[in-house]
Amino acid sequence: MNLSIQGIGVLGGFGCGTDALVSALSSGQCKPQSVSVKTSQGPREMAAFCADTSRLEEFVNKKNLRRIDHFSKMAILGSCLALQDAGKLGEDLSRMATIIATGYGATRTTYAFLDSFIVDGDSCSSPTYFANSVHNAAVAHVSTLLNITGPGLTVSQFEMSVASALLTARCWLEDGRVDSVLFGAVDEYCDVLGYCWHRYFRDRATTEHDMDPFNFDVQSAIPGEGASFFVLTRDDGGGSRYGSIKDVCLGMMDHFTEPPGRDSVFFIGADGHKEYGDHYQRFLSGHPRAACYTPLYGSLPIGPAFDIAVAALSIKSGKIFPVPTGKNEGLGLDTARESPGPICCVKMSSRGELGAVTVEA
Amino acid sequence: MNQRAVAITGMGCISAPGDNLPECIGSLFKGERNFGSPVRFASDNAITYPVFEVADDLASLETRNTPDISRTGRLFLKVAFEAIGDAGLDREFLRSKRVGVCMGTTVGCVMNDRDFYRAYLKGQDPDMADITRFLRSNPAEVVARELDLTGPCQTIANACSSSTDAISVGALWIRSGICDIVLAGGADELSHVAWNGFAALMITDSSPCKPFDRDRKGLNLGEGAAMMVLESEGVRRTRGKGARAFILGSGASCDAYHLTAPHPDGRGLRRALKEAIASSGVETKEIAFVNAHGTGTQDNDRVESGVLNDMLPGVPFLSTKGYTGHTLGAAGAIEAAFTVACLEMGRIPKSAGFTNPDLRLPASPAESEMEIRGSAAVSESLAFGGHNGVLVFGASGGLL
Repeated sequence: MNLSIQGIGVLGGFGCGTDALVSALSSGQCKPQSVSVKTSQGPREMAAFCADTSRLEEFVNKKNLRRIDHFSKMAILGSCLALQDAGKLGEDLSRMATIIATGYGATRTTYAFLDSFIVDGDSCSSPTYFANSVHNAAVAHVSTLLNITGPGLTVSQFEMSVASALLTARCWLEDGRVDSVLFGAVDEYCDVLGYCWHRYFRDRATTEHDMDPFNFDVQSAIPGEGASFFVLTRDDGGGSRYGSIKDVCLGMMDHFTEPPGRDSVFFIGADGHKEYGDHYQRFLSGHPRAACYTPLYGSLPIGPAFDIAVAALSIKSGKIFPVPTGKNEGLGLDTARESPGPICCVKMSSRGELGAVTVEA
Repeated sequence: MNQRAVAITGMGCISAPGDNLPECIGSLFKGERNFGSPVRFASDNAITYPVFEVADDLASLETRNTPDISRTGRLFLKVAFEAIGDAGLDREFLRSKRVGVCMGTTVGCVMNDRDFYRAYLKGQDPDMADITRFLRSNPAEVVARELDLTGPCQTIANACSSSTDAISVGALWIRSGICDIVLAGGADELSHVAWNGFAALMITDSSPCKPFDRDRKGLNLGEGAAMMVLESEGVRRTRGKGARAFILGSGASCDAYHLTAPHPDGRGLRRALKEAIASSGVETKEIAFVNAHGTGTQDNDRVESGVLNDMLPGVPFLSTKGYTGHTLGAAGAIEAAFTVACLEMGRIPKSAGFTNPDLRLPASPAESEMEIRGSAAVSESLAFGGHNGVLVFGASGGLL
């Protein structure tokens, strides 16, 4: 069964909303911010793609956001934008499910909670930080603020989070359990993540380089954060301006008897991590037509959700956007001449798992 | 048998009552409550809230492909080995099938190592081994990697209903033909971080928990894991394996009410229970008992008692958290395994910790061990964030 994409809500280093993403796609430009990382040798500057949630006040009263953290704010804003885009904001959402995929959850709040008792003792643990640090707090806030009373699901499967969660979204729609799914993905940057980045990648955790995802032998990743949400329904043949999710595949790459995405253009989720380079190279050896948009949103586990948004926007606009690597082309692909047929968004894990989501008109 | 039924062909469990499912069940029917002060961490809190810990440090657990993983990861593997053994499966057979892994957890997917973070705060260079261990300990991936499984993996972090939902999703993967076999369950280790969190929320009892009792003061945390082998009819019949029970139906909903409190009228629980029973095809008179969420908090037990009294009047219910503590993301799977085991035995243990009926509650749990009548049973979970998950199990009736 195909899933019809009825609405999209995105925010990330490129800005907020589909217009901002299209603008970044069209220009091929998105400049990361500089963040300060605390190290044993003193502060170091590093690049990161950070998201701004100030537009949330257009949708939710500021008073209701007082105790809600950055992670959940990104989720709520992505949800509001997607529902607005689908024309469903304020409608009866009792037959809608809420599914959120995340690689690491609300890390800022998790460490804020640790701060509350590491510094002052166990009895000073903050109940507010604890409550917001739980992985499914974002689903809880989204469902409460938007009155979505169908089932909720939070999936945390690192790089496979998006494909895995989509698999269940499709099952729920296919099973008739719900009529629509608010499907989203969120990950955030935090100081500890920046520190880990510094420790793992040292000289490559700087402000001095751009992401170069097709250069598989070089570590060029820049951390990102953001949210990408969709309103999905069963595809009843009525059409959708964004097309439909035709297929979701998940499993070990070598296990597929037939590789996913035949005849597709591939949007690969290579995000400048050398560790994964071999897997992408091996996958692309049989699929030469590939684009990559990670330099617009950065490296984060839920990156495929942005690729799905880019695929949907490509279908809507009838064109493949230029690849932001400075050459205006992908691998074996002339984006200026390519029209969007099926687009397969592919993400690999370090273990060799493959998550593939195919979007088509 | 309802066409949507999914066979359970094997189960495994570890929790404070025992190191495997038969030990756990034996302990429950003896009425044992293995609680005490936490032994794996020390707190400077003036109150030492009791916990239900697993005695085994799992250091001797033999693994092939998963060195240096979290304790939660080892709990997952322990019950995975028991469950596939109980199902009569081996690694080679599993590798030849489309096997998915769907796991629920709370603690198991949170990056919050205290020692690492303390050193970071002090401006030191902490050992990155703690973070690397976290990155290689994703619950579903740990099980898949250890057993060389090639199908889809999903780790569900729905707080206290995580593994109820994992079993429900696993059953759906079988029904939809995505997998031949799914290993579905949940695990959580006892965590100082979570222990502090629940203490801060002021819903932890400083004495052994008393679900549904007049004098209940809150929950006790526990740790453990449970897993079920869910199998397609095609595979099960080909290998001639009988089912221990069937998953007949499931339901889930969001209260959309409050981050840490259930809807006062149990709005979401009613919907999830109604959906689960409707999808199971069973009539309420066929339901032998309910394994309630029964945490021992004022709010949870009041809401659950009211909903059960309205929707399943007269059906016996119990909470097994008086034996296991609240094992968070593992709770749903542990209670599902207990539910199936009790359905097989035709009896339920007493609801541990329950002594004095609360006259404000419309229904009370089983005061003593009792025989049950009926071919189906319900297990329900109410989670932080207002999520509700319900499973309906059916006895196998000796069906092959």
